[in-house]
Amino acid sequence: MMNLKIKSRVRCTDREVGEVSHVVVNAVTKEISHLVLATGGSAGGQRLVPIEDVSEADSNGVVTLRRASSELSSYPAFSREEFLELKEVELAGVERRLHVHSGEPLVPIPHLEKDVSRRTFFTNFTNAIGVVLALPLLYPVLRYLIHPMYIPFNNNWLTLGDVSTLEPDKPKLIKFMKTVKEGYLTREFQKSHWVVKPSEELRKKIYEGEPVEFEDGKGRVYWKNDPEDAVVVMSGKCPHLGCAFKWKENHKRFGKVFWCPCHLSIYDASGKVLDGPAPRRLDILPTRIGPGGKVEIIDAEFKAGKTEMIRII
Amino acid sequence: MGDVFKKIYDWVDERIDLKGLEAKMLREPMPGGSRYAYAFGSALLFVFIMQATTGIFLMFYYAPTADHAYESTKFILEELSFGWLILGIHNWGSSVMVVGVLFHMLQVFIWGAYKKPREMVWMAGVVLMLIVLGFGFTGYLLPWDQRAFWATTVGVEIMDKAPIVGDFMARFLRGGPVPGALTLNRFFVIHVMILPAALVGVFALHLFFFRKAGPAGPFSGTKQELEKKMEYFFPRQVYKDIVVMGIVFLIITGLAVSFPVELLDEASPEPTDYNPEPEWYFLFLFQLLRFPMFAGEFGEFVGGILLPGLIVAFLISLPFIFRNPERHPKKRLVGMATLVILLTGIVVLTLLAIASRSE
Repeated sequence: MMNLKIKSRVRCTDREVGEVSHVVVNAVTKEISHLVLATGGSAGGQRLVPIEDVSEADSNGVVTLRRASSELSSYPAFSREEFLELKEVELAGVERRLHVHSGEPLVPIPHLEKDVSRRTFFTNFTNAIGVVLALPLLYPVLRYLIHPMYIPFNNNWLTLGDVSTLEPDKPKLIKFMKTVKEGYLTREFQKSHWVVKPSEELRKKIYEGEPVEFEDGKGRVYWKNDPEDAVVVMSGKCPHLGCAFKWKENHKRFGKVFWCPCHLSIYDASGKVLDGPAPRRLDILPTRIGPGGKVEIIDAEFKAGKTEMIRII
Repeated sequence: MGDVFKKIYDWVDERIDLKGLEAKMLREPMPGGSRYAYAFGSALLFVFIMQATTGIFLMFYYAPTADHAYESTKFILEELSFGWLILGIHNWGSSVMVVGVLFHMLQVFIWGAYKKPREMVWMAGVVLMLIVLGFGFTGYLLPWDQRAFWATTVGVEIMDKAPIVGDFMARFLRGGPVPGALTLNRFFVIHVMILPAALVGVFALHLFFFRKAGPAGPFSGTKQELEKKMEYFFPRQVYKDIVVMGIVFLIITGLAVSFPVELLDEASPEPTDYNPEPEWYFLFLFQLLRFPMFAGEFGEFVGGILLPGLIVAFLISLPFIFRNPERHPKKRLVGMATLVILLTGIVVLTLLAIASRSE
């Protein structure tokens, strides 16, 4: 590349005419676009010379132009006010691209670091200390964060609200109260599930001749619903993605259905999927008839979006 | 007065090189000159600062626990002086932020400004987009009303469908097997600590990458034209940015005043008659999962995880998919067609979701 230096002497084709007083960098291309020629003598002035007109810049610091000295007046005059200094603008990467420099400045490596193996030792040791500090913390931090994520199932029986007003085959949302301890907070809140008093026909459809069995995670059956029970309780949570579904008496296509407003899954009164994206039928809950004819349930919840009923709480 | 100011300036400049800082921040050459089209990035930064400010104000009164979140939000809305305005700005600011991200990405895409050497600027930008969506998703739960609770219930349930890590991720976010009190704590800390830190960090990278590569400038015009119209970032682009920020500010406050935040009943696993629905910018994904082709266990995975994942992967790898250095939109038919298809899909799905609301 060219050896452009400030103070380089400048020659035209016929004679020496002055020296380089500045170089000008194009902000877009980040290349040198002009040099500023300071002509000496009484007619002294500064002119902008396009870099294309430089034919040579040799190692002795002499810049040669392609023009004769008589043509210099065709170059525009240089006016300092029209330029900023390089450090006054943000030209990313300009150092790498500018072909003008005065050699690489060097900085000595400190005495203590001259030994390469010593330097490597300290680098490795720094990393090792980091690992030693971080590793023992990994397990406690993980346990700390996942503490509430996996909790044992709660098999308490909860008593549902009044079911005496149920009409056959007409499901109704029945409320109940549930107390939950979540971390620091014990809350009692209202929940509800769908309860249906099935006709013989619907009962057959739901049970298909077999009792509904409930297994814990280890394959043990912890409860069987009696197919002769007066009512069937279906979880209020849509097995598609967990929304709360509704009972509709006048669906355009299917008539009386359970209908989920989220992703439009549709189930019949027995809980079977009629239409929509649901992967399985509505979940039947463990149910028993308690003293005084009250309906009791285990408020189990099953993972939404699975073909199988996978209990999560 | 001016003298005193100059003395202070010089004093500081001598110590920390203020002039150098000014050069770095303001004197960046913009080939082809300043334009209003380049203001989206600055406008987004401005909206983020507004969100951070109003967010801090909200935390003066908001209590992030399941037994007080709803009451404290209600207090902010109904009793606190101008609480409705601060919450309104924060609420509408989030929507404007998402729209702003969309416009910013559209502009960069149409201008072909994601192409070499700006690939890393774009990739950091896509990560920022995900962070912004994360802000929307986590912030949605905090008022702890029915809308909040049910959108989160379904949203996290979708994450659960990711293979292998899905169950863990969903439990991690919920702080348990089902949504509850600890879910609120987790969403809160993600919303006010983790995501802001992530956003600031990735934004710093985004800006750093951008400054290293420099602005792309217009997609047409000869080198001479670009040089002739070249301007530094300051003052005209800064001016245009401020004008756009002002307009954005008016839009957000105008929305906050005209459409106040509505709080539904307190969150409860008891559904009442509310029909769950996510924030409008997630509606297209919501609608997707209604289609029969995304039914069943595998369908849910495809519609809820795989497809959105592929869209994100596509966005991230965009600079490596469309490698032709040509930036003029008229000469990038495949790219433009992809854009139109993607946008049309999103718009149609969103409209379908809105149309089936009344059912």
